[in-house]
Parts: sequence; structure tokens; C-alpha cells
Amino acid sequence: MIWMARVLAGPILWGALFSGIYGLHGLGCGLDWPNRETPLGALHPLAMIGAWLLGLALHAALIRWNRALGDARQAMLVRAGNWIGAVASAATLFPVIATSTCG
Amino acid sequence: MTEDPHAIAPNPPQRALPLHRQMDRIWSDLPGWRGSVASVNHGTIGLRFMATSFLFFSIGGVLAMLIRAQLATRDGAFLDTQLYNQIFTMHGSIMMFLFAIPMLEGLAMWLLPKILGARDMAFPRLGALGYWCYLFGGIIILSSLLFGVAPDGGWFMYVPLSGKTYTPGISADVWLLGVTFVEISAMAAAVEIIVTILRLRAAGMALTRMPLMGWYMLGTAAMMLVGFPPLILGSILLELERAFDWPFFDVLRGGDPMLWQHLFWLFGHPEVYIIFLPAAGVLSTIIPVFARTRILGYGAIVAAIVGLVFLSFGLWVHHMFTVGIPHMALAFFSAASALVAVPTSVQIFAWIGTMWAGRVDLRLPMLHVIGFFATFVMGGLTGVMLAMVPFNWQAHDTHFVVAHLHYVLVGGFVFPMLAGITYWMPMISGRFRVRALGEAAFWLIFLGFHGTFFIMHLTGLLGMPRRVDRYPDNPEWEWLNLVSSIGGMVMSVGFALFVLDIAMQWLFGRRSHRNPWKAQTMDWAMALPAPSYNFASLAGAGRHDASVTLPLARGEGLLPGAPRDRREVLVTEPGTGRPDHVAVLPGNTRLPIWTAAAIGSFFLLMLAGLYWATPLAILLILWAAWQWGGFMGSRRDAEPLAVAPGLALHEHWQMRNTLAYSGTVTLLVADATLYASLLFGVAFLTVIAPNWPPPDSGLGWPVLLTGAAALLMMGLGLVASLLAEAQRAAPPGRLAALAGVAAAGLALLLLAGVAWQFDDPTRHARDALRAALLGYAGFHGVVTLMLALRSLADVRQGRTSAMRRGAAPVWQLFQAFWLGTSALSLGVVALQEIG
Repeated sequence: MIWMARVLAGPILWGALFSGIYGLHGLGCGLDWPNRETPLGALHPLAMIGAWLLGLALHAALIRWNRALGDARQAMLVRAGNWIGAVASAATLFPVIATSTCG
Repeated sequence: MTEDPHAIAPNPPQRALPLHRQMDRIWSDLPGWRGSVASVNHGTIGLRFMATSFLFFSIGGVLAMLIRAQLATRDGAFLDTQLYNQIFTMHGSIMMFLFAIPMLEGLAMWLLPKILGARDMAFPRLGALGYWCYLFGGIIILSSLLFGVAPDGGWFMYVPLSGKTYTPGISADVWLLGVTFVEISAMAAAVEIIVTILRLRAAGMALTRMPLMGWYMLGTAAMMLVGFPPLILGSILLELERAFDWPFFDVLRGGDPMLWQHLFWLFGHPEVYIIFLPAAGVLSTIIPVFARTRILGYGAIVAAIVGLVFLSFGLWVHHMFTVGIPHMALAFFSAASALVAVPTSVQIFAWIGTMWAGRVDLRLPMLHVIGFFATFVMGGLTGVMLAMVPFNWQAHDTHFVVAHLHYVLVGGFVFPMLAGITYWMPMISGRFRVRALGEAAFWLIFLGFHGTFFIMHLTGLLGMPRRVDRYPDNPEWEWLNLVSSIGGMVMSVGFALFVLDIAMQWLFGRRSHRNPWKAQTMDWAMALPAPSYNFASLAGAGRHDASVTLPLARGEGLLPGAPRDRREVLVTEPGTGRPDHVAVLPGNTRLPIWTAAAIGSFFLLMLAGLYWATPLAILLILWAAWQWGGFMGSRRDAEPLAVAPGLALHEHWQMRNTLAYSGTVTLLVADATLYASLLFGVAFLTVIAPNWPPPDSGLGWPVLLTGAAALLMMGLGLVASLLAEAQRAAPPGRLAALAGVAAAGLALLLLAGVAWQFDDPTRHARDALRAALLGYAGFHGVVTLMLALRSLADVRQGRTSAMRRGAAPVWQLFQAFWLGTSALSLGVVALQEIG
């Protein structure tokens, strides 16, 4: 079942990232983060972009370190799981750099 | 024990007929109607699920015809508004909760053991309990229509419309309680399916070599496990609000109707894929058979299933695009909704590629497969359109959405199921079908469906909203609606003909020979109709396909016959399929129907508003639950059983990682999801809902100290449960079990002390949420106490020894879960007090 955990690692990371950033978005809107300035800009987009980039870095680490295991089909599925998670995180969370936050 | 499954030698051949008689005597149902309610066999239960769901489908279809009759003309006088509201609500609810989900559960229960090379599902009594809960719950829901108190707030029961203010009476309660009752069967099925796939596959059948249907059902069950708890929680919270005025959704007291929408669609969108995945499994099974080739891209399809399972949980807000959610959140869900088309397309192209590579034989099941392609792909494309926020805002709540969802659900579920029924009917009935009727039924359904719903896209684009019963000021919609209504009637005739075809096959069809479609999968490695036990002996390492029919029937496989007059199955390791132990399954019993009746009495008392009497029902349920434990133990240490020459395995009573243990872990995943949904509710209302912060609670250290003392007792209970297992063969084991019972009882008393100090839950949503968290802890306390008592009874009655552990491992799981969730809940209360 370690193999199964390796297959699911990428999608699970996406799930954590997606729900985490969505939660962060709601929390930031509720706490008025868009109007809190930091040296690098408003806190809200900064926090979300930071979380997204961190997540993408973790996906990159997974692709690098969560190597194939078992026979050819098992290895292919581990690789596929890694990439499914990474592409999903990149595609579904890119709005953190593209749209306004709480508007 | 043999380490390499490939080294398993065959058993000596026996005469097939005596073996069949021996097995059938042990595995078949008891005779007569009294015997039939005692059945727990997966074949019987699965077929009952499917037949009952098809009956509900027919009723839902009749309601649809009433809707179409009403809308055929703009001033339809066929139904009044109130009845129309009830009918469209019941149509949606029946089709979703009483047809689609039970149909897939039935298919899984009936088919999975056959296609995976097993004799039954992992928990036969649980399957039977699920069926009776489904039947009783369905009857309650349906009866409301006869008594004129049917739900009328739409199948997603939005608040505040479904709250007590706007829906007095019991109609909304019928939905909330009835659906929750029915969903017990869904949770039971999810646990059963997962454990069956992971632990009961044929020996040596690695996970990556199992038939694709196994992967589809594994994905479906995992989604059910995580998808249904938010709906169950939402239903409980809304029922608590309606019954006891706890204001989870009341804005004035810190609640928020949006919480209901989130909880509902957290279930509701994955639900689409829960319905689609088993249907896709049917397609992946059938298409290679009729294309006379192997499925193209096994690995890609498995990867697509993994992608779908996860991505489908990131789409729910696309049902809420118009409620005023910030742009960024809309964009997240819009992107996810578009992305989910990719894994779906991977499967579509794999199926097309398979047909391209092979030579398609256009038999009746394949006609329905073609119907699927023509319908589902269009539904998927309009789904991508609706995933785009600007278009969604225009088309929201119009008939365009109605057309889209029917294209997805009928295309993605009904056509594949019709294909599946026609494909597996020879195995069910043992007969060939009568020619031509099925083809006529297909064309009527296909043409009728597109006649009804294709044009409905246009009706929606012209602005006709859903759920209106008249449109006197819009004559431009009338001819479109008339065409849809005519199409609907044609489709109905098609379905009636389909049922007639099935009945004719059952009654008058020629006897079918084995494996009439020349399929490769193991479900066809048996005589027709399928025997009650599936396989007289179980497939070992090597071939797991239809070619092993005769060797298995002659007892050359593993665990041949029923020499000990018990229902024995082979339990394997989840990944490799290596034989692990022999599980003895329970035989026919009426306990499931009595348990379902006890649970039903609770729901009926709630529905009747007789809340004071519900503790009696709860006691009844606890009594029934206690009876279930009676089978779960043995008073003797047994020698390992000879499974094959050179391979002897222990019985499950002498193992730790049993089916029950796996099932408990699986169940706790669902339980944790429900708890996480409750925490989501706390966070959502705290951050988003108006009228926060709540009034001062006046709670202080006393409540936190009482809670901490309860946690201490739960911790002691956990230690006791560990000791009870470790010392099971010695007197301290009995003492530990006794201490565990005392600790659980004391913890429950302390929780009652916390409840006594809490504020009135009707005052504010914060207080209601605290009460809900406490109720959750109390419920788990009762379950844990029951398990501690069971462990104590095991010790006292000699069900434990150095080899036998009794219920202690399962008790530990629940004890740890109770402790963990209660600690989190206390932390939430402490944070609220500090904040």
C-alpha cells in the first residue's frame, strides 16, 4: 500500500493546497487583509501567492523525489499521480496572480 | 505459509456436481418469504438493490411525465402549483437518492465478487442492512407523496425556503430524515466496496492487474466515503434547526444559509462523478468485449480515475456562481471545472481507441454504449460552457441547466446501465434475450431523450426558468415545450419496452450457454445463471480470467467446497493479492432487517415530532447493534486451514488485520470527514456569517476543566484498550477491559457535565455549534462504551486467548478517534473563549 500512497501523494497535495488557499482566501477577506499593507504589497494577495508558490515548490519536490516504484505500470501511475497534482495546482490556483481578491 | 503466490499448487480435482450441491446448501438463501428476508448473499442483495432502484426509477419517470404534461402548454391546468412543486422535488430526489446511488450500489454488490474472483462481499450483513434501510427510507419518502406532505423545496432543499418559517409542517423533515436514513445504505456500501476490493480479490491478483471495474468502483466508493458525510451533516444540522430551533442557518442569530449550500454541494458535485464512475466501469468492461480486443490505455485510465476522484471535490462552488462569491474564489472553481474535462476525455479517447483498434460487433449492449457517446459528450461540453462564469450567470437556473444535467446523468449513467443490464442479463437469468424488442426500446429511448432535452437547451437560452409550472406571458416557449413533452412520452414508451424485454428474456428466453459474449473477465468463469457461491474453489495465482471455469468448478482452485459447513472466503493482502487468512462470513439471518426496523423507528419518531420517545428507539438500536457482535468471535483456537497443497492459513478470529479492522478504518475515514465538515461549519460561520461575535458565554475555567477531565478519562480508556489486547490471555486483560468500560462511562458523565454548563443552543449559532460538537463527542462515547463492553464480554465468555484478540483492536480505533476529535473540539471552545 506504500505504492498507493505514492500514487496519491500528488493529488493529496493538490487537495490540501486547494482547500488551504480557498480557506486562506475566505479568512483574509473576513479579516480585511486586502487593506493591510506590507513592504511587498497588500497582505492578502501576498499570502495567497506565497502559499501557491510554496505549494508548487512542494509539487516539484514530489516530482523529483517521489520516484517510481514497482513494475512499469506501477511506476507509470506514480509519475502520473505526481503530475496530476502539479498540473491541477498550477491550473486551478493560478487565479491568485490573475484576479482581485475579495471583490 | 507460502510466500510466493505463484508457488500455490492446485487441489486435486473433484466431481463438480456434488461440489456444487455442497456449496449451494451453505450459500443459498433460505426458502419462503421468511427465509428471503434473512438473505445476506451478495447476489440476492445486489439484485434486490437494482430491482428496487428500477422500480423507483419508474416512479420517478411517471413524475417526470406529469411535469412534461403540465409544461406542454403555457397555461397547463394539469397540476396546481403546490403539487407541481412536490412533483419536481420528488422527481429529482427519487432519481438521485432512490435510483442512481442504489443502482450503482446494487451493481457493485452483485458484480464485484464475481469479477474479482471472490465468493461474497466483505460484510454480507452490512449489505443487507443497507438494503433494508434503503427500502424503508424510500417507502417513507414515497409515502409522503400519497399523504400530500411531500417535500416541495427542490431536490437541494435550499434554506431559508426549507426552514421552519417558510416550510412549516413535515414535508422538509421527510426529505431530511428520509434521505439520511437512505444514506446509511450508501455509507455501508462504500465501506463494503472498498474492503472487498482491497481484501477479497483472487489470490495473486495485484491491484494493478485487477479488472478496470475494480478501479472504478474503488474510486466511486472512496468518493462516497468522503462525499456523503457533508450532506449527512447538513441534513442533521437543518433537522436540528427545524426540530429544536438551533440556528445554524438563521442569519439573525449568527447562522448563514450559505453554509447549507456549501455542505450540500460538497456532496452534490462529487455525486455526479459518483454516478458516472461505475457507469464508466461498465463501459470499460463492455467495450473491449464487443470490440474483440483489449482495453487501450489501462494505466492512463487508472490515472484518469485518480484525477477525477480528486478534482471532482474542487468543483462544488460552480453550483453557487450566482450567490455573490468573490471573483477569485469563482476563478478557482471555474478553472477546476474546466480541468476536470481532461481526465474525462482521456477515458473517452481510450474507449474510442479501443473500438478503433478492434472490430466492433454492434450487439444490443453496444447500441446503448453508442447512445452513451452521443449523449454524454454533449453533456460534458455544455458542462464546460457552464463552468465559465459569465455564461453561467446567463444560463443559471434556466432550462439550459436542466438539459445539461439530464445529458450528463442520462448519458453518463442511464445508457451505460442499460448497456450493463443487457450485457449481464444472461448471467442473471441464464437465458438469451428475445430478438428485436431491445433494439426497438433503445431507439425509442434514444430518440425520445434527444427529442426531450436537445431542444430544451434552446428553451433555456430563450430564458425559461426552472421550476415554473406556467408561462402564460411567453408564447415563444410553448412549441419548444410541446416538442419536449412529446419526446418525453416517446422515451417513456421506450423504457416500458425495455422492461418488457427484460421480463420476456427472464420468462421465455432460450437457455444461455456459458460465457455467451466470449468475455475475458472472471465474472463469466461460472455456470449460468450465476450460482449462489460464485466459485466452488477460488482462483489462485496465474490466470484470472474466464478460462478458469472448469478447474474452479472441479475444486482445483483454493479453498474448495464447504467441508466445514461454513461460508469461507480467502482474504488477501491489499496490494499484491497474497493470501493472508480465511474469513468465515455469517450466514442467513434476520438481524439486518430488525436493525433497519429499529433505526427506522427512530426516524419515524423524529418525523412524528415524538422526540421524548426517541431514547426508546435508541435503546432498541443499541440492543440490535449488540446482537451483531454475537457472531464476531470464537471460543476455540483452531489449527490453520488447508487452502491448497502446501498452503494453510489461519481463520480470521486469530488474525489482527481482519476484514472488520479494515472496515473500521474505512468507516473512520468517513467519520473524520463528517467531523471535518463540522469544523468547516464552525470556521465558515465564525469568519463569514453576519451577526458575529456572539453574546458573551460566561463560560470559564470550569467548563474547560470538566472537558479536560473527560479527555483524561478517554486517554485512560485508550491505555485500557491497549492493555486489554496485550494482556488478553491473562487476568489483567479482564481488569483492563473493565477499566475501559469505567473510563468510557466516566468520560460520558463528564461530557454531560460540560453540556450542563453550556449556553442555550437556541441563543446563537456559536452555541448551537458547540452543542453539535458535544453531541458528536457523546455519540462516539456511546459507541466506544459499547465496544469496551463487547471486549469485556469477549474476555468473560472465553472469546480471547493468546491467538484471539476479540473486539479490542476495533475498540482501540474508536477510543483513539473519540479522544482525538474530542480534544480538537475542546480546543475550538477554548479558542473561542480566548478570542
